[in-house]
Amino acid sequence: MDRIECQWCRAQNEPNRTSCFTCGAPLNQRNLVSDSGWAEAPRLRDMTEFRFSNSSCQIEGEIVPVAELALAQGDAVFFEHHVMLWKEPHVPMSAMNTGGGMKRMLGGMPHVLSIAHGPGRIAVSRDATGEVVVLPLHPEMELDVREHAFLAGTHSLNYSFVRIKGLANILHGGEGMYMDRFVTQNQPGLLLLHGYGNVFQKTLRPGEQILIEPGGFLYKDSSVTMNTVKQQYRTGLVGGHNMFLAEMTGPGRVGIQSMYVHHHKSE
Amino acid sequence: MSTPTTTSTYTCPYCRIPSDGTSATCPHCGAPVDVRERVSRSGWAEQPPIRDMARIRFNRSTCQISGLYVPVAEMNLHPEDWVYFSHHVLLHTDRSVQLDVMKMRGGWNRVLAGMPLVMMTARGPGFIAFSADHPGETLAVPLQHNQAVDVVEHRFLVATGNVNYHWENTGVWFQTQQQTSDGTETETHYPLGRTMDRFWAQGGPGLLLLHGPGNTFIRDLAPGERICVQPSSLIWKDPTVQMWLHFEYPRGQYWFSSARWQAKTVWLTLQGPGRVAVQSVFERPETVGQVTNCSSATTQQW
Repeated sequence: MDRIECQWCRAQNEPNRTSCFTCGAPLNQRNLVSDSGWAEAPRLRDMTEFRFSNSSCQIEGEIVPVAELALAQGDAVFFEHHVMLWKEPHVPMSAMNTGGGMKRMLGGMPHVLSIAHGPGRIAVSRDATGEVVVLPLHPEMELDVREHAFLAGTHSLNYSFVRIKGLANILHGGEGMYMDRFVTQNQPGLLLLHGYGNVFQKTLRPGEQILIEPGGFLYKDSSVTMNTVKQQYRTGLVGGHNMFLAEMTGPGRVGIQSMYVHHHKSE
Repeated sequence: MSTPTTTSTYTCPYCRIPSDGTSATCPHCGAPVDVRERVSRSGWAEQPPIRDMARIRFNRSTCQISGLYVPVAEMNLHPEDWVYFSHHVLLHTDRSVQLDVMKMRGGWNRVLAGMPLVMMTARGPGFIAFSADHPGETLAVPLQHNQAVDVVEHRFLVATGNVNYHWENTGVWFQTQQQTSDGTETETHYPLGRTMDRFWAQGGPGLLLLHGPGNTFIRDLAPGERICVQPSSLIWKDPTVQMWLHFEYPRGQYWFSSARWQAKTVWLTLQGPGRVAVQSVFERPETVGQVTNCSSATTQQW
């Protein structure tokens, strides 16, 4: 039987479907790719529904989208507590201790992640115009995400956080001090992110490099190395201007967001 | 042998530059060609948003606009083309693009005016992309040789190398006084900002990209025609359009003035001829204090 391959997550779909059953991307539209190779994250149609494990997720709204999760018995999702928009009263909640308390406090990250268990419904959303990015993670995948950008992850994902290496990266990078790391092991998982503005993704070849504004960084495969490079410009006999950009080196995917607070706001 | 002739059959309602009208978008400004002009009863035309992935040509390079909420302007620069931009709008760049600092005068005045001190230049070959930090629209303003526009500060995204740039005082200000526990406090307000950017093309057509938060509307004012707008909603205007402040003082039992507060509406009057563009997102002006001094202004007591 013919199958339709999703251009975003590569899942195989039945021919009668109009949106991908694992990520919700419209199947009857071509991928929008700019001339330089950045692909727009699929614009999820209002009320698009897709499945993970025995549960489902529906994306509602288009300006500040809400992800509504219908959790089945035995399924769970985790998230930062402030993204929860509403929940049914009977949905059990628990907390995931992330470890590294002092480090996370210094990095401005929450000590505790909330876990919602099925059965029942909850909804999560962020606080600004943007897009929900749905990233199904296949076994053995590792993804690094800008801190505070993840909306929810399924229980099959292993969560940790990694320090951004290098003092220059931390002080000048603008990505923060830590990145969230999501790893799948034997089971596939699903990660929902919120990107401010519009989200674009590019797959870098081995050794291929791109410079991006650190504030625009959203996610990357852990195989992509990130380094902050300093660009120095003279503005006169004694003056100078430093610019810090994140140098990404492939192989792997890099995701960026088009709206961000510039990290050199003071200049 | 007959010489092929170019017949212009279509004039873009936005940039007014003729083209053959065979492409889906205007080759000069990216506005959709087949869109029906939507004009409100009062005469404001909603500027057609640039379609996702639309390409605009300039010199030997192209600019592609992608995204809908906070659009990204991605330029594929030819080796002989260059653009300049305010450094905080850069999103990503190829390593092959040469970045440098653009020399500008009046650095100290720019600091005082809260304007970016550093303008960067980017020279091809390679891709470079820009985006702003508010949901809104990217506006393409194509400029013919010697054509100029005045742009409110912080709306500028990027311009081609042959577009000249300087800035001048807006000349639009007012002072308020209010009584505080420490005595009389005087404050000077600049509803448009202290300065405005002027861009004009020389040596051929140029392209100017702006970002307008919210939606954008344009209007072509006839000679002598006036319109009052919220000062912070103005994005750009033709230099032929004159502007001044207009204060309205409403009356009624709920409207009163005191030493601390004065009921008033601060408008910016725009007088044609020429085009003006406004955005749907704006800041509400403060109403504190009595107006004691101002630039050229009109007043109406209701």
